[in-house]
Formats: sequence, C-alpha cells, structure tokens
Amino acid sequence: MARDRNDEIDFQAPVRRVLIVLVALLLFALFLLWRIDSPRVERFRTALVDTVVPSFEWALVPVTKVVDMVEGFQSYARIYEQNQELRRELQQMKAWKEAAVQLEQQNAKLLAQNKLRLDPKLTSVSGVVLADSGSPFRQSVLLNVGRRDGVVDGWATTDGLGLVGRIAGVGETTSRVILLTDSSSRIPVTVQPSGQRGMLAGDNTAAPPLEFVEAPDEVRPGDRVVSSGDGGVFPAGLLVGQVAQGPDRRLRVILAADYSRLDYLRVLRSRPAERITEGVGLVGAATAEPAEAEAEAEPGAETAGDG
Amino acid sequence: MVDPVSANRVGYRLVFLGLAAAVFFLRILPLSTEPVGWPGPDVLLCLALAWVLRRPEFVPAAAVVAVFLIEDMLLMRPPGLWTLLALLATEFLRDRAVVLRDIPFLVEWLLVAALVAAMLLVNRSILALAMVPQAGLGLSLAQYVSTVLAYPVVVLLSHSVLGLRKVAPGEVDELGHRI
Repeated sequence: MARDRNDEIDFQAPVRRVLIVLVALLLFALFLLWRIDSPRVERFRTALVDTVVPSFEWALVPVTKVVDMVEGFQSYARIYEQNQELRRELQQMKAWKEAAVQLEQQNAKLLAQNKLRLDPKLTSVSGVVLADSGSPFRQSVLLNVGRRDGVVDGWATTDGLGLVGRIAGVGETTSRVILLTDSSSRIPVTVQPSGQRGMLAGDNTAAPPLEFVEAPDEVRPGDRVVSSGDGGVFPAGLLVGQVAQGPDRRLRVILAADYSRLDYLRVLRSRPAERITEGVGLVGAATAEPAEAEAEAEPGAETAGDG
Repeated sequence: MVDPVSANRVGYRLVFLGLAAAVFFLRILPLSTEPVGWPGPDVLLCLALAWVLRRPEFVPAAAVVAVFLIEDMLLMRPPGLWTLLALLATEFLRDRAVVLRDIPFLVEWLLVAALVAAMLLVNRSILALAMVPQAGLGLSLAQYVSTVLAYPVVVLLSHSVLGLRKVAPGEVDELGHRI
C-alpha cells in the first residue's frame, strides 16, 4: 500500500507542475488582457461585483448598522458637551434659516416676475452604500442602484450637502462611486468668490489638493469650492468644500460631504448639454411651436408657484 | 464511510475558504470611507503563507488562485497580477515545505518578510512597466509593515484557535503513513 502511494506521488508531481505553470501563464495573460482591453474586463468585473456583493446585502447592512450603533453608544460618554455644542449650532442655524427664508421669498418673487425656467435636469435617485472598496489604495463605494434605475457612468453623487464622487462602473443593480479622495479622481472646480478655475485631484488623503489654479494668490483659505461644470457631464455649482492651506503651503480642499458616514448617497441625473447644430432651424417657423407649448405650460406652473 | 484523514483535510480546506470569505467580508464593510493614514495588513496573504508553511495540503493551489483572483476582482486591483504573485510565493514555499518544517519561527518570519517584499517589488515593477497608475510608495510600504507585523498574530491564532501546527518529525497520520 505504501508503494502504491509513492508511485502515485511520483506520477502526479510533473503533471501538477505543468498545471501550475499553465495557470500562472493564464493569470499573466489575464493581466495583459486587462491592460490591453480594459473596458471589457472592467465590464466583466462590474458584472461580477453586481452578482456577488448584493448577495451579501442581508449581512452587510445590519453589521454596518450595529457597528455604527456601538460607536454611537460610545459617544454618549460625552453627551453633555455634545448637547452644548448642538445648542450653539442650533442658535446659529436659526439665524441662517431666517436668512434663507427671506432669500427664498425674494427669489420666488423674482422668479415670478421673470417667468424664469430653472434648469429641470437635476433630478436624483438615492441609494444605500453597500460596500466600500476594501482596499486602502482605492477610495470608492458601491451603491445599490444600477442600470435598472437608469444610472449612467459619469453622473455626480452627493450626500445631500456636498459632492461625494462620480459614478464609474454601472452594473444591473449596483454602481460604483469613485470618491473625490481616490487617486484617479479629477474634478474641475471653481473657487468662489474669486472665480478661479482649478482641478480637484484626489491623492488618497482626506483633503485633496487643488491643482492648476491660474492665480493661487487670489484663492484664500475659507473660500467656497464648487464644481465648475467644465467638461460637460458634471453639473455646475455643486458644493465641494472649503479651501484650506496645508503645512506644505499647498492649497487643499476640506470636503463638505461627511466622508466618515456615507450611508445614503444621491445620484444626480444629468444629461449632457444639448448642442445646437442646425443653424437654420433656429430662425423661422420651427420656433413658433415651442413658444406655444411654453405658453400652454405656464398657467400650470404659475398655480404651482402660488400654492 | 468517510475516511477520517481526508475528512480532516477537507475540513481544513473549507475553514481556509471560510476564513478568506470572512476577511473579505469584513474589509468591504463600509464602516469608514475616509482615506486611512496607515493601511491595515493584507490578512489574506498572511493566512495563505502561514498555512502553506504549516500544512501545504490544506491550501491547494486551486484555492489560492480562486481566493486571490476573487479578491483582485472585487477590490478593483489589476486582475491576475497579484494572484500570480501569490501563487508563485505559495508554490515556492510548498516546494520547500519539508526543509522549512524545521526552521525556528524567527527565521520563518524573516523569510516571509523577504518573500512579501519581493512580491511587492515585482508587483510595482510590472505595474510600472505596464504604465498602470499606482498608489503612492509610502502607502504600499506602510501596508507592507503592517502585513509583516500581523504575520505572527495570524500564526498564533491559527495555532491556538484552529489547532494548525507544523508536522513534527516522524509524525504519522491516522493511517500510519509518514506525512
């Protein structure tokens, strides 16, 4: 019996070696294929993530919630200070609310006078964060909305307040959001009030640096940073954060979105800006029809505004 | 009737796959989406190396390939490359398992540290050759340090909790064969 076993091993070893070499070559070929035809492999990867991760959803969501609750429980220890802090903030917020209400009324009045049509393209779809990238080198999260909800690559994602990232990779029921902090993220931004344009380039730190600013002297720490909409796909005017200057005197942006708890994200539906290609069509009979349609739509809009 | 030796082996293989799944599950939990200053260890790699050094038959090459390829795919790494390196590293240890059985732990630790460093170096050079954008060197080195530091912990837990230990010289399995 012992001899049989040894014979078997002698026979198996070379076959095994050949198989290992074959598998190694296949793996390297896979890497090369990914390098050459990245979109195809990435589509496969998205499809794989789309089937694997949602099947963990029953466990992922409760475990995350439980850990959040434990963390919340720990913070009860300093509940008194928190209470004081919240009271102060509430006081400030009341002042802001007053200002906002006044502005809203003023805005409504001006809109009614101008019959201004606001850009209707910014509707949104919200999703729950299922998983993060799992790797310290990649900053991305997986949302539970996908192609069946109409999500398209490149759309902006916010947490309700500030910009969080952009969609990169859409599966049937999931989509991946590359966060602004990822080292492959580049977002065109405008610094207000100076109006300087720049690029927000993620570098795996919590406060990504602001690059390619034309006149950095005009940018001050504390300035608001909003998305500029350059490049078409991204809507303009979304709040990104505040400028800060690091110890190395580089301009960085403190993000407005609360990256420590991303649980629900809002994906903004944006359509690429319409291009006017036909020069002739703008002048003549064709323009009369939209004007009529507008006139028909207006009474409805006005009643809605009054109510 | 199930043969107790192969039942034990199948059991440990399943434990390995289960551990890999658990590690993966914990990593993708969206607990903190902020960038970390000091990345955690690559526990899966520690696990594979430690197990191959102790009982190579519990970690077949197919399991290594499957686990690392899935990790490559789900963690958005370039697919195949890290799997290939993990396969080569485990095969390197597997071929020398009989010799390495007798080395003291400190030497084993140094060996693993050198092996992981080599993997990291080859990985980064191939990525650089293929002109793939990569994370900063500092972050990779930090992860390397945590991985090397985590290795003894993984070995200790495998030993104490799962009862995974090296084969003693002259030890025989339940059927009386030398291992």
